[in-house]
Amino acid sequence: MSAAPASRATSRTAYAVAALALLAFLAVPWVGISNNAIRLLLTTFLWVTTSLAWNLLGGVTGQVSFGFAVFYGLGAYTAGLSINGGITPYAAIPAGGAVAAFGSLLIGLPTFRLRGPYFAIATIGVNEAVRIVMSNLDITGGASGVRLLQAGRFSQAEHYYAALGVASLAFLVSWRVMHSPFGLALRAIREDQDAAADVGVHPFRLKLAVHALAACLTGVAGGVFAHYTAYIHPDGVFSFSTSTSILLMPVIGGLGTLSGPVIGAAVYSIVQEEMVVHFPQFHLLLYGALLILIMLFEPGGLAGLWRRLARRLRGGGP
Amino acid sequence: MSVRPLLEVDGLEVAYGDVQVIWGISFTVAPGEIVTLIGPNGAGKTTTLRAISGLLPPKAGKIRFRGEDLSGRPAHEVVRRGVIQIPEGRKLWPRMTVEENLLLGAFAPRARGLAHEQLGRVYALFPLLKGRRRQLAGTMSGGEQQMCAIGRGLMSEPELLMFDEPSLGLAPLLVDELFAKITDIAKQNVTILLVEQKVAHTLEIADRGYILETGRTVLSGTGKELRESEYVQRSYLGTG
Repeated sequence: MSAAPASRATSRTAYAVAALALLAFLAVPWVGISNNAIRLLLTTFLWVTTSLAWNLLGGVTGQVSFGFAVFYGLGAYTAGLSINGGITPYAAIPAGGAVAAFGSLLIGLPTFRLRGPYFAIATIGVNEAVRIVMSNLDITGGASGVRLLQAGRFSQAEHYYAALGVASLAFLVSWRVMHSPFGLALRAIREDQDAAADVGVHPFRLKLAVHALAACLTGVAGGVFAHYTAYIHPDGVFSFSTSTSILLMPVIGGLGTLSGPVIGAAVYSIVQEEMVVHFPQFHLLLYGALLILIMLFEPGGLAGLWRRLARRLRGGGP
Repeated sequence: MSVRPLLEVDGLEVAYGDVQVIWGISFTVAPGEIVTLIGPNGAGKTTTLRAISGLLPPKAGKIRFRGEDLSGRPAHEVVRRGVIQIPEGRKLWPRMTVEENLLLGAFAPRARGLAHEQLGRVYALFPLLKGRRRQLAGTMSGGEQQMCAIGRGLMSEPELLMFDEPSLGLAPLLVDELFAKITDIAKQNVTILLVEQKVAHTLEIADRGYILETGRTVLSGTGKELRESEYVQRSYLGTG
């Protein structure tokens, strides 16, 4: 059994790749790349953030949530309304993360009493309830949404760097969590919650904590999105399809890993870009099919598939 | 005994819903002792351990640890005081490595800072685990998993280590090794409360023991006294 040392070597390579990628991404706005490509990268970074965040709860801790649009939306609206109120984006966007984290506690307190599929189902209900409430409030602009007044203050490069910064933060936070006793306890909860409680892990409290951390990162991503697009509406940011997108990416990429959610987000963003142009209605069908294939044949996602191929290429058996 | 007991169980009663299974069990464990609870299936041994661990609320009676009342406290608070149970059926995390399983044993704040020293101690006691530390726990044999579960219990800097049928399902040769390891652990100043069906083996290593039947304490004494008791020989050792 050399599974652990192998994956450790793989992850060392992954960190080197990540560092090089970060340098390359920092240089992007200066190398005369098209605005459209920068926009695509920016979107990818936001999805990388939500994907890594969701993975902390759904992948590492094994609590599948269909309700992350709530945090994305809370972050987007908090940031958007604060910016309209004259607050600098540097305070408004983190405030989005804080409000999302607070919201996650309100949602987690009742729903983490439930286990497994019951928790997942409850989050669907919460997501729909929040979306409907938000669509009917005056402060959110109702179904017609809110336009951000001072959106012109950031250049595209600044928006790009904000998204890159948030994605890097999510990566660092994920790395820290996954290499800490906290992360070990989260995995123990995923594998056997009762055994975890036996050794003094408090599953309920740790679930609330990781939920809040994931919600905060998702909310910050929502805030950057709101500032960038300068227009948000409840049926967009709070929608159930936003929740399923946030869930799909880490599942496609590989749950519980660091590289999986990043790969999943990148693949999703690129495929999305092509699909929306050519087959506007069919992209969800494709993801549905992809999801079924992954669950049937490679539960480790694209990261798992890559590991398996790499082992085979080295001649180390299946 | 002049030393103040580490654990005092006084008139414990426990019920599963309407069904009461423990009707007033009392015993004490002094620091450094190996104490055993013996009795037939259904006597309430496992239930007693679960009540001490905080996994079942007592209906009546007191559980005192270092003089502090623990009855009705949740499991994680009991663990934090150094009262650790090695569960029956081993309850490891099969898809995590041996070393990850061990490190999780040191999750309680009182042990976390010492995790790496403790890991060394556990590997010294169970060299087999060191050789397999990167192996997934679920891929080991039953005996190896039992050692891993005991090692995980030791990781938490226990003051009182409780075993529930540790020999269950082990090959005879491993049973001897297991009891030798338990004696080794006791020598490292860990107090032990042992529930076992292998009565002869258990009374060999125990300082004192209590016989439980249908939820009550019916007899107690030193290991030697119980080994020589006619009642125990007749009912449990099959020699009287």
